[in-house]
Amino acid sequence: MRMANDEARWVARAGAGDAAAFRHLVDAHSAALFRVCARITGDKALAEDAVQEAFFNAYRHLREFDGRSAFSTWLHRIAVNAALGEMRKRNRVEAALPEDDDATDVLASALEGPPGPERQAQSAEFGRDIATQLKRMSAIERTAFVLRHHEGQSIEEISTTLALSESASKQAIFRAVKKLRGVLEPDGVQA
Amino acid sequence: MNPIRDEDLVLYHYRDGLDAAALAGIAAALDASAELRARYASIEQTLARVDALPEPEPDRDFNARLWRKLEPRLQPRAVAQRTPWLERVQAWLSPPRLAFAGAACALALAVGIGFYAGRHSAPEAPVVASADAAAARVLDAYVAAHLRATEGVLMTASNSDSTTLLDSNRELAASLVESNRLYALAAARAGNTQLADFLRQLEPILISLANQPASPSIEPTQGLRDYLRSTDLLFQVRATEARLDKPAPRKT
Repeated sequence: MRMANDEARWVARAGAGDAAAFRHLVDAHSAALFRVCARITGDKALAEDAVQEAFFNAYRHLREFDGRSAFSTWLHRIAVNAALGEMRKRNRVEAALPEDDDATDVLASALEGPPGPERQAQSAEFGRDIATQLKRMSAIERTAFVLRHHEGQSIEEISTTLALSESASKQAIFRAVKKLRGVLEPDGVQA
Repeated sequence: MNPIRDEDLVLYHYRDGLDAAALAGIAAALDASAELRARYASIEQTLARVDALPEPEPDRDFNARLWRKLEPRLQPRAVAQRTPWLERVQAWLSPPRLAFAGAACALALAVGIGFYAGRHSAPEAPVVASADAAAARVLDAYVAAHLRATEGVLMTASNSDSTTLLDSNRELAASLVESNRLYALAAARAGNTQLADFLRQLEPILISLANQPASPSIEPTQGLRDYLRSTDLLFQVRATEARLDKPAPRKT
């Protein structure tokens, strides 16, 4: 409760134009925002641009924040839109990678480490395949999945964030999970 | 609830999108069926693999870099008026403006090469043809990128109901108006009247999107959807974009 009150004070001061207060909020939330943007875009540079845009948009609309949701929830919603906006600018919103693409993304590259025992190698291989599969998804599938799985948003919240119907949000999540299952059991996924 | 689909099991895993009766039905079915338990275990195993991926973390300098880029954009207007000339120059050299200036310079270069080629076409035909083709390719690449952005703006405006998305879409449309004018002019000067006419046709739509009210009511959005449906504008944008993207050498 105290933390929420403290944050409310920082938000109020930042809303009144106090740059130091806003910097405090940036420092407190930037890593979490980076994580969600990196998962959505699959690209560190895009994620960084998205975080910057998200904070800039948040600063401009800080006075509109009414405190009905947590500040972090409000900020994350802005960040998701900023990430999609950055991808749209680069025409990556509906473009999934071709099947033979050998691109490494931020998650896949993070898995690359010194060679270890066979089990670790196999596990790393699965991890890389999953990371690649995440990158191959359409942006909507990946974003819906990231919001549900990593961010813990409900389907109703995801529908609001992505301006989709609940049914479309569910379908996007189902398609994402189905594609991920294809990595572990290429022939065993129910149609 | 019978049969239970994988989709139901995904929702069950997240305890989301199912009412209490459906959740209880799936729990009972899982108790009763080994085959269903195996399917559910497979979904859980997949999602556990996702959890095992390392979290994407920013590097150590991220916060400092972020603030360095962010701070100049947060200056209140009153302060900006008193900003020393050096800071104003630095602000002018911010990435979006540099990008626009770069595009404008490239375009001016392309038009210049085309102009030069046109003036000297008779005595140096092979060199001129090559310079002319290079100028046309530069222009094509920039216009194709511009049309891709325009297509995105039109799609968002006609499909999205999200206020935040529409707000940023409005800003993007506003930024495209100026470049659209520039490209139309360049195309006309390069003798590509068909492309110039098409770009001029886009301008009123971009202007109207740039000036949509902050919280658009259903009517303007629906009006745009009807307009896009009743015309083949989106198709034309995509077709022109595809034509410009073609790697084959142009005959001019």
